[in-house]
Amino acid sequence: MMTRIPILKLRECLIVSIQWELDDQTALAFQEDLLAKLHTTAARGVVLDLTPIDFIDSFIAKVLGDVINMSGLMGAKVVITGIQPAVAITLIELGIRLENVVTALDLENGLEKLERELED
Amino acid sequence: MNLRSSVDIITEWDIVAARQLGRNEAKDVGFGTVDQARITTAISELARNIYLYAGKGNIEIKQIAEGNLKGLQVIASDKGPGIADVRKVMEDGFTTSGGLGAGLPGVKRLMDDFKIETVFGEGTVISATKWLR
Amino acid sequence: MNREIAIYIQKNIDKILERWKAKMEDDQDDRFFQIMSDQVIDTTVREFGELMVSSLTASEETYDEKLKDFSVQIVRYGWSITFVLRALNNFSEVIYEEMEEEGSLNESNYKSFREVLTNWITPLNQSVVDAYSKVWEKTVNLQKIALQELSASLIPVFDKISVMPLVGTIDTERAKLIMENLLQGVVKHRAEVVLLDITGVPVVDTMVAHHIIQAADAVRLVGAKCMLVGIRPEIAQTIVTLGINLTDFTTTSTLQRGMEQALALTNRAIVEVNVK
Repeated sequence: MMTRIPILKLRECLIVSIQWELDDQTALAFQEDLLAKLHTTAARGVVLDLTPIDFIDSFIAKVLGDVINMSGLMGAKVVITGIQPAVAITLIELGIRLENVVTALDLENGLEKLERELED
Repeated sequence: MNLRSSVDIITEWDIVAARQLGRNEAKDVGFGTVDQARITTAISELARNIYLYAGKGNIEIKQIAEGNLKGLQVIASDKGPGIADVRKVMEDGFTTSGGLGAGLPGVKRLMDDFKIETVFGEGTVISATKWLR
Repeated sequence: MNREIAIYIQKNIDKILERWKAKMEDDQDDRFFQIMSDQVIDTTVREFGELMVSSLTASEETYDEKLKDFSVQIVRYGWSITFVLRALNNFSEVIYEEMEEEGSLNESNYKSFREVLTNWITPLNQSVVDAYSKVWEKTVNLQKIALQELSASLIPVFDKISVMPLVGTIDTERAKLIMENLLQGVVKHRAEVVLLDITGVPVVDTMVAHHIIQAADAVRLVGAKCMLVGIRPEIAQTIVTLGINLTDFTTTSTLQRGMEQALALTNRAIVEVNVK
């Protein structure tokens, strides 16, 4: 039983909202799906909303970090939105800083930030 | 009070099962959202270590009490290869699997007590406890 | 022997207390005798004497109970613990001196007398120390809670801008609490910039700096920006001397300057209005 995460396109951006706890397979499948979608749509930006996610371990963090770097290679900027306080704290305590990641409070802010980044 | 439950870690899906169990137990003890996330993440790291390095093993989750303190203890045990250099795996950024190298030192930071017993060639038992503040 | 001593004390209580008081007054360290009125001293001294006698005459079953009552009572006087211990010691000494002078002590009963005295005073000492440490423990815990309550609430100042003033020493436990409040506040108030004001933090060492850096990192993850304001000259000095790297975040000396920058970051500015 594997769920696929839906990826929506809005003008130049892709919008992804992760609604369920990520297991390893889903996370890896998502990585492939997103890159494939970037390829076919030539989108310039991605907003990845994690609001419902209540924990991220080092594996998922690595997958997310990889996705962001890979998207960057394909010419797309990624903004992560909605990281919960508890998740942020655990990530920091785990020692995962996600240093070059652009973040925003929620989807709306994320889209704004992405548009601004794309203008620069 | 000594409620315990456990999950055998054999497939990747068992990692998910272990952390779901952990989250429920943490909620049951009365931990807040941040501590729930800490515990769930720690269990995920431990379970994944078992899956990656030992192949199979067990995650046991116990509600414990010591005096007025309530807590949740997570015991990860396996009969895998053991850890050759414990000091090394407790260093930040050390990894043999291509991961982020946050695993064990990260778990130690997330939890309050952390103990590791390992015999090279025979297996590893890691116990980590979070106390309810 | 217990009874004998008790009867003796009861009979000579005035004399004993007078002498005990004189002895206590000799030690000028404690201010009890200096600041209290004679009347208060008198009643307290009498009460103390009665307490002593009742603790001596209690039967074995009720002794523990009496002992507890006694120490609770003593703690209530508000004396310093050294003073209380000296008071107990002096009291037994006075009795010994009195009884010896009076000649009711001789070689045959001397040993058992000392025994009774020891068996009486030692548990009293212990129980008093116990009671005091319990009170202290309670105070420490209460203060800890008070400190936690005091610590760190996030104040929304403008739309998108919040301030968290930090006051007092930051230890690991408090740092965790601060981080939680900070992040939850950021999300709740939808703050895009938070100013962490450390004007009230007396010392910033590597540990505190580490916690602040972590908090700022976590704030970045939830999607806001953290600025460190209120850096006093001596704090700047220690930060650089310790080799702490804060270049990753914006720091300013005052909250005011920080606020201006925060407004700029959110595309706003404070302008003066000409009222004519």
